[in-house]
Amino acid sequence: MSDVAPTLATLPRGLDAAQAGRARFLRALSGTPVALIGAALVGVVVLVAAAAPALAPYAPAAQIAKPLLPPGPQYLLGTDEFGRDELSRLIWGARVSLYVGGLAVLIALGLGATAGVLAGYFGGWVDDVTMRIMDVVLALPALVLAIAITSVLGPTLTNAMLAIGLVYAPTFARVARGPTLTVVRVPYIEAARSLGASNWRTIARHVLPNVAAPILVQATVSFSTAILTEAALSFLGLGTQPPTASWGLMLSAARQYMLIDPWIAVLPGSAIALTVLGFNLLGDGLRDLLDPRMRAL
Amino acid sequence: MRYLARRAIWTVLALLGVSVLIFLLVRLLPGNIVDIIAGTEGQLSKAQRTAVLREFGLDKPLPVQYVLWLGNMLQGNFGWSFRTGQPVASLIASRLPITIELALLAVLGVTVVGIPLGVAASVSRSLRVRTLVQIIGVLGLSMPNFWIAILLIIGASMLFGWLPAIIYVSPWADPWVNLQQMFLPVLSLAFGLSAVVVRMTRSSMLEVLGQDFIRVARAKGLSSRRVLLRHTLRNALVPIVTVIGLQTGFLLGGVVITEQIFGLPGLGWTLLNGVYQRDYPVVQGTVMIFAVTFVLINLLVDLLYTYLDPRIRYE
Repeated sequence: MSDVAPTLATLPRGLDAAQAGRARFLRALSGTPVALIGAALVGVVVLVAAAAPALAPYAPAAQIAKPLLPPGPQYLLGTDEFGRDELSRLIWGARVSLYVGGLAVLIALGLGATAGVLAGYFGGWVDDVTMRIMDVVLALPALVLAIAITSVLGPTLTNAMLAIGLVYAPTFARVARGPTLTVVRVPYIEAARSLGASNWRTIARHVLPNVAAPILVQATVSFSTAILTEAALSFLGLGTQPPTASWGLMLSAARQYMLIDPWIAVLPGSAIALTVLGFNLLGDGLRDLLDPRMRAL
Repeated sequence: MRYLARRAIWTVLALLGVSVLIFLLVRLLPGNIVDIIAGTEGQLSKAQRTAVLREFGLDKPLPVQYVLWLGNMLQGNFGWSFRTGQPVASLIASRLPITIELALLAVLGVTVVGIPLGVAASVSRSLRVRTLVQIIGVLGLSMPNFWIAILLIIGASMLFGWLPAIIYVSPWADPWVNLQQMFLPVLSLAFGLSAVVVRMTRSSMLEVLGQDFIRVARAKGLSSRRVLLRHTLRNALVPIVTVIGLQTGFLLGGVVITEQIFGLPGLGWTLLNGVYQRDYPVVQGTVMIFAVTFVLINLLVDLLYTYLDPRIRYE
């Protein structure tokens, strides 16, 4: 548990500058095949989730056919144990995954990055207290803590989201604190302060732009972890509740019937894996672009 | 030594923090804890409620409750299960070995498979091997381990007509049956972990291979096997061990789900059953043991560094 928060020796210039820089960044991104595949996968999932009402052939909770039908012309991917259309449930499941994953990452980012920037900026006891609290959270395996939190708050989709957000906040705190520590020693911060800029203004104008890149990378990677954790919690019955279509929940139900009808176990798992793969590849690609020192990993 | 002492003190403080966190978490419970203990929703008289509260020490102020709870825990008393009345400590003691066996076998599997694969990938010039390793790395990171577990069960049953026994058999009773039972769970845990280890082994080996002393060793005429294992791998181990250590969190989380899927009555299984039955002493106790295990493993990894690389001296 040593301090391994990455410090940016070379600050990413691509994000500071305005239009020109952004164009250059996009061009570089499109030159990275790995990131491109990731972006494509993520794009597909986002589109599917957004267009779920139009794409899904049936209502996700409607029991409309014989249970456990194999894939066929009428129900393209077959039906589940209640005779609900598998394809429609997978499509609506994308919404749940992205919704829970996205809000959980926002919670983690909001709490964690704020704590990390403040800790790095003010230093001293603020730093000590904040980071020690984060260390306590990190002393528990993430999923175990998330299980404990949802068990106390009650197993609902919102609580699962909150639990995931809380559990991953320390990661963001570490990622944000490192570059902040480096930036506050830079002379232009001292200059800004001596010109009478308030702490608030200094952080917003000078610190945040410099820590944005590693936080962005972390957010992308965390998205995949958050989706995995939501699936795990729902799988255990502690997240999304039936009859809402969630991939983790679908896998959990499939356990009873997987030997009769393997399809209902293979499909939701593939959906999770492809989505997570997309965010992982995109995160890897972004890291290569924004933080060249991490490229070896 | 000074570093060690500081590290040990910090470990104890972190665990104290965890205990406060767990304690407060359970006090946040919505609804009345009396109803949970008694298993009846709002059917007790006022006098009965007070009696239950007093019996479990819940009528005292929070800080007093915490100190009592902590003091008892330090003496090995984790309280009693709300449901069975069994001491939580003995429950944990009987379940912990299963989890330890599972986790150790998984780490062993990862080491035996992941490190050689990574070494092979680092020296191989074949595009196929490198691509294969990359694919394993990416897939292992993206497939949820509970899905891998389900696929393994389906595969074993469809291809070999074989399924692991459902009732857990301890290794002392029948080691062969026990190993058979552990095979699929270990495989499902090891898959995701090896992905990370293979990737890290490869990149760490490549970094060391590029250094001058490797060229010297080769120039001396040492066999390439000796150069690879004694000189390169030995020096590449620190980041590999770090990554295995960092994965312990995922491993311990994975254990919870894996035990649930395969019906292994370990610590994770106990935690989940505690959660499902709202048996909070059991939840508190198991979460605490998870934290202790996690923190101790991290400490161990830190200590391992000095052994692997004598240049690392903590001051």
